[in-house]
Amino acid sequence: MMAREAFPDPGGREIPGGEAVHYPIEVDRVTKQYKNGAFTAVDNVSVRMAENEITAIIGPSGCGKTTLLRQIAGLEYPSYGRILMDGTVITGPARQRGMVFQSYTAFPWLTALQNAEYPMRIAGVPPAERREKAIEHLKLVHLESFQDYYPNNLSGGMRQRVAIARALGQDPRVLLMDEPFGSLDAQVRWEMEELTVEVEERTRKTIILVTHDIQEAIYVADRIIFMTRNPGKVKEDMVLEFKDGRRFTKKEDLIKHPGYADTEAKLYGMMREEIDKIRSGE
Amino acid sequence: MAQATVQAAAGVRDAAHGDAGNGGRGEPFIPPRQGFLALRSGYSPHFRTGLAIAGAVALFLVWEIGAHSVSAEKARFFPPVENVLGALYNLFAMKGFIYDVLASCARIYSAYLLAILVSLPLAILMGAFQNVRATLNPTLSALRYLPAASFIPLLLVWFGPTDAAKVLLLFLGVVWFLVAGMLSNVMAVSGELIEAALTMGASRKTVVLNVILPAAGPHLMTSGRDLTAVAWTYLVIAEVIGAQSGIGAVMMRAGRFMHVDAIIAGILMIGILGVLTDAVFRVAHRLCFPWAR
Repeated sequence: MMAREAFPDPGGREIPGGEAVHYPIEVDRVTKQYKNGAFTAVDNVSVRMAENEITAIIGPSGCGKTTLLRQIAGLEYPSYGRILMDGTVITGPARQRGMVFQSYTAFPWLTALQNAEYPMRIAGVPPAERREKAIEHLKLVHLESFQDYYPNNLSGGMRQRVAIARALGQDPRVLLMDEPFGSLDAQVRWEMEELTVEVEERTRKTIILVTHDIQEAIYVADRIIFMTRNPGKVKEDMVLEFKDGRRFTKKEDLIKHPGYADTEAKLYGMMREEIDKIRSGE
Repeated sequence: MAQATVQAAAGVRDAAHGDAGNGGRGEPFIPPRQGFLALRSGYSPHFRTGLAIAGAVALFLVWEIGAHSVSAEKARFFPPVENVLGALYNLFAMKGFIYDVLASCARIYSAYLLAILVSLPLAILMGAFQNVRATLNPTLSALRYLPAASFIPLLLVWFGPTDAAKVLLLFLGVVWFLVAGMLSNVMAVSGELIEAALTMGASRKTVVLNVILPAAGPHLMTSGRDLTAVAWTYLVIAEVIGAQSGIGAVMMRAGRFMHVDAIIAGILMIGILGVLTDAVFRVAHRLCFPWAR
């Protein structure tokens, strides 16, 4: 209980059943420094992410949002502090935490289906079973008719969908997404945002999404963590109350929703402050 | 004058609009001709194949003209194409040249196989593990600067004029370059592919054999292909020194009797084998890596 003090985020929320919210990921006073301490990418950050929630981490370039996500994945280690998953300190990557990268990481030598099967293959799942599950995941990302295509013959959006299907194949509790749609066209990006909401509704994962896109964060996430740069700190941690716990399968429905414009304006204002800070050479 | 031009232009526009026959479209647009040295041309693949053939024919044409323009008493030192082809036919028909070709191929491919067996694991281990690279790479890079030909006296002392000496010379000629090429192929594998595998719970062994190796595969094969040409170079050197069989030995013997046509026939044969090897690699590449573009 004492450790809870370290978390200034809107924790301790109660869900209607009266049960306390569970937090699979707890970032506990994490500092990440590079160049022997000369550069601080993440500065004493404590947050926790709630089960079945989509948390977006947003902020200007260089605010340490990707560094934080990579540490949650176990691909990098904190300089100070620790990150826990279900109470256990994270010491490396593990299959409970799947990750989707900004660059296309669908394995080019495997077909879409073989990619979707891959994490189950290396975990020793029998062929028939993993095939069935992989097809199910490809259906979830609307790629079932492309299962025999190699990634090089798929569009960027489709390759990211393969990457999502593959990440689902490892049956992770937490899905980490590092600017997954950053290099996609606006319209494809929009499709992928809606797909992310759909995947969350169907699979009930805990998703942490790093993005620099304000609209994407508001649309996809239930809660937004805004990080500021140099050093990387949490500037604001806001639960998107105006959504009333709802998720919208169509982006335009959300944009019409009362409260959307205010949230957007607020985040743009915060981003503006950051830009001004960078311009003034701070 | 200017007025007349304007009127003419307007007339063209009216005509285009009035032409209902092609659905109101404009005249077919004819792009300006760019000529032979076009920077981004749309010449067809057929045309380019034709150019390739023309290039090869030009080489033989120059040779042919050159051979016929030397004086009669010097003609045997510079035989024309047909004499060389005749000599090549003679070699095969009368001198059992096929056994020499096979002997050379056996040497070159066994040496090559040996070099791949050594360089591939080295390149993969060094590419995947920084500490292995730090340990071995500086030394292996230095070995690249030792000319393989400088090992000839040593190899002759150790093994005599045997096949083992020849295969080892070929091996030394290519292996360090193979290691360097393959190492850069392995290191070019995207770090994010490796990280993606790690977040899926892949073990170290799985990452090396199941991610790094297939990801680098097509490039490794290309590196291998490029060095076959170097292997042929050392083959001739190896066979020139104390060999009874092989293409190089045949050329050396022909030289002693000033059979220039037979010497050139040997060179031609090596060229043909090189082109064939290249073609085999290309087909194998397409079959092994259908996913690569």
